Amino acid sequence: MELQECKPIVEMKNIVKVYLDGTVALRGVDFDVCPGEVHALLGENGAGKTTLMKILAGVLKPTSGEIVLEGKHVRFSSSADALSKGIGMVHQHPALVPVFTAYENIVLGAYRPGARAEIEKLMEETGLKVPLDAPVESLPLGIQQKVEILKMLYRRVKVLILDEPTTNLSPLETRELFRVLRSLRSRGAAIVFISHKLREVLEVADRITVLRKGVKVGTVSAEEATPTLLAKMMVGREVEMVVSKPRVALGEELLVVRDLWVRSDLGTWAVKGVSFSVRAGEIFGIAGVEGNGQKELVEAISGLRRAEKGKIVIGGIDVTNKHPLEVYAAGLAHIPEDRQRYGLVLEMTVAENAILGVQRSPRFQQPPIMKIKWSEVFSHAREIIKNFNVQVPGLTAKAKTLSGGNQQKLVVGRELTKKPRVLLAVNPTRGLDVAATEYIQNLLASLKEKGIAILLVSSNLDEVLQLSDRVAVIYEGEFMGVARPEELTEELLGLMMGGYSLDKAREVLSRKTT
Amino acid sequence: MPVEALSQLAEIARLTTFSMTPLLLAAIGEIITELAGVVNIGLEGIMLLAGFAAVAAAEAWGPLAGLLAGVLVGTLIGLLHGWISVYLKGDQIISGLGINIFALGFVAFGIEALWGVRGYYTPPPEAKVPRIPGLGVSPTFIAAIVIALVSYYVLYKTGIGLKIRAVGEKPDAAESVGVHVERVQLAATVAGAALSGLAGAFLSIDWLAAITKELPAGRGFIALAIVNFANWNPILALAGSGLFGFFWTLGEWVKNIGTIKAVIPIPLLNTIPYVATLVVTAGLIGKSRPPAHIGRPYRRE
Repeated sequence: MELQECKPIVEMKNIVKVYLDGTVALRGVDFDVCPGEVHALLGENGAGKTTLMKILAGVLKPTSGEIVLEGKHVRFSSSADALSKGIGMVHQHPALVPVFTAYENIVLGAYRPGARAEIEKLMEETGLKVPLDAPVESLPLGIQQKVEILKMLYRRVKVLILDEPTTNLSPLETRELFRVLRSLRSRGAAIVFISHKLREVLEVADRITVLRKGVKVGTVSAEEATPTLLAKMMVGREVEMVVSKPRVALGEELLVVRDLWVRSDLGTWAVKGVSFSVRAGEIFGIAGVEGNGQKELVEAISGLRRAEKGKIVIGGIDVTNKHPLEVYAAGLAHIPEDRQRYGLVLEMTVAENAILGVQRSPRFQQPPIMKIKWSEVFSHAREIIKNFNVQVPGLTAKAKTLSGGNQQKLVVGRELTKKPRVLLAVNPTRGLDVAATEYIQNLLASLKEKGIAILLVSSNLDEVLQLSDRVAVIYEGEFMGVARPEELTEELLGLMMGGYSLDKAREVLSRKTT
Repeated sequence: MPVEALSQLAEIARLTTFSMTPLLLAAIGEIITELAGVVNIGLEGIMLLAGFAAVAAAEAWGPLAGLLAGVLVGTLIGLLHGWISVYLKGDQIISGLGINIFALGFVAFGIEALWGVRGYYTPPPEAKVPRIPGLGVSPTFIAAIVIALVSYYVLYKTGIGLKIRAVGEKPDAAESVGVHVERVQLAATVAGAALSGLAGAFLSIDWLAAITKELPAGRGFIALAIVNFANWNPILALAGSGLFGFFWTLGEWVKNIGTIKAVIPIPLLNTIPYVATLVVTAGLIGKSRPPAHIGRPYRRE
């Protein structure tokens, strides 16, 4: 399936990358990109896409292998070095100085007279319009990304690498980005587009290279690629990512949120009068682009952030603005967004992490000086590891030595062992491999049969749609509508995530069809 | 007696040009250093060491040599603090504290070793920086104003300033576009300390014309407060130094009024500038925005 219709501007040959801890990220990968094409690099989390491109951009050094840029062998000492030689990478988290204006960020370290006129001309030609004099921290991520791209173009890069650029974009912003990429392509830029989203790759790429576990599976042209073909190359098997969704009789309302108002860190309203309830045996999903109030909503429910107005009731107990301890006592378990920051203490052992939050229980403490009963702690940890199939090197291994999937299983296991009535799961499968994702999703579905009420907040649309009994779409702190997943088409969801209410979105779509 | 009141006001203003100069110089220096992400709390110590060196040099070679000696001492300490903070990734507070403690001990010893007196030495009049004729202010004051304006322009209107501030805000972003983070930090630390050195020389051979180990009298710490007050803006630092300098002069002036002196003990009056600092800065807490990466050494991934 090798194609060689174009003359590559840069070639990577037999790239191997072994990290210091012994992890082999790349096992001899070839890659190239030509001027005037978008070359997509497709693969699952951990396939090595980002590592490969970080090597091309000078961020990482390859263990072995070579890079040929415009016919010459090159070795980059740093990302700045690669940038000066014409290779620029836009990372998932923008490398911008937040308090600087867009203009200042673009010219930083590369000021030349007439810079402003030059940038304005660039914006005109490429359609990358950004407010040059606004501090970038006040700009949405989609615009910040454009600033990054402009920064690269101003430095006259020939190869532009974009790492999962659509992760935090709304459908509208994504379309806008693709329009820009096409315009850059027509100007002769060589573009590498890292993604794991099949649909996007098929829409924008000319060639698609698929990586799996550090090995190149193959390169196909956009014409011959189909979603099924790519999915097969990516996963190595045909996946039916359909979680069996048990239908259970719904019980009482275990989580009730009424007219909840919450402020963001900046003092603005992040949640604006949200109301919903989740019943025993039900999964209530909240979808939406990240940063639309999900974080503040979750923190208010778990007692970490003040609710300015409204009411939160768990299992009949009013927990509005109660200390997290009281909230957990009312029956809440929480699988937090960022397991490494809020779910685990990475420097502590597996056993210690297993009792976090329940360490006060008399089961683990020996009066009168409250000495920890280690035998009990270990047996508790062992129980979690067995029941939730956590792979650990040992009970006294530090939590940071576990893989992402096993860290998450440890958190989930610990939380579920608390015998909760309400489970708050936030992006529970983010960053996990396919097997761990499947495990967690099936586990959540099976919890319904135990009569647990689950609030699932996730930016992964497929996950929300597959697992939830009802789905709400949140946009700028408000629900755009609540519906059963079967009622929600892709277009409807896209519109709602972009700020249309459910009714409005239906109206728009019906107008289009008539 | 409006004429007399007016001339009294003019005199307070003239005296304020002296009291504000060391504050201004040290504050501008610290602004440069902190914008690049390095904290130097050793301003007090630098002023003291520089003031000492300035007296010794001015006595031998005249006042200009004295001022240069102060700058040189500041530069050397800046190199030391920069090396510890930027390259050795040491604790910047401890390094600054070390400078302060070292200065106290060294200068007390130096005064005795050099001039054979204990605690207090006054250089001869020819070692002193002359006043500008007619105005009665020091040329160093004019220089300080110019330095403040130039610093503002460089820090906020040029590519160099962009690099300095980028390094203090988000060093990895700066590095990714080819800015040499460590070099910029070291340079900013040296420049900042050099200005504190000039402030110290101004104290000992320009304004007060004396050297004692109490020479800076907390001005290094007030300068740190001004940096915050000014929100890292040299123009606002000019205003801040004027304000704190005014309180300093006011404290001195009030001591000469018999009726007040009779009621309030002098040591209490001496606290006026410090209390004013506390009150003003307490009112400002949380209102200024420090550089995001301040005080932490930059480590590459």
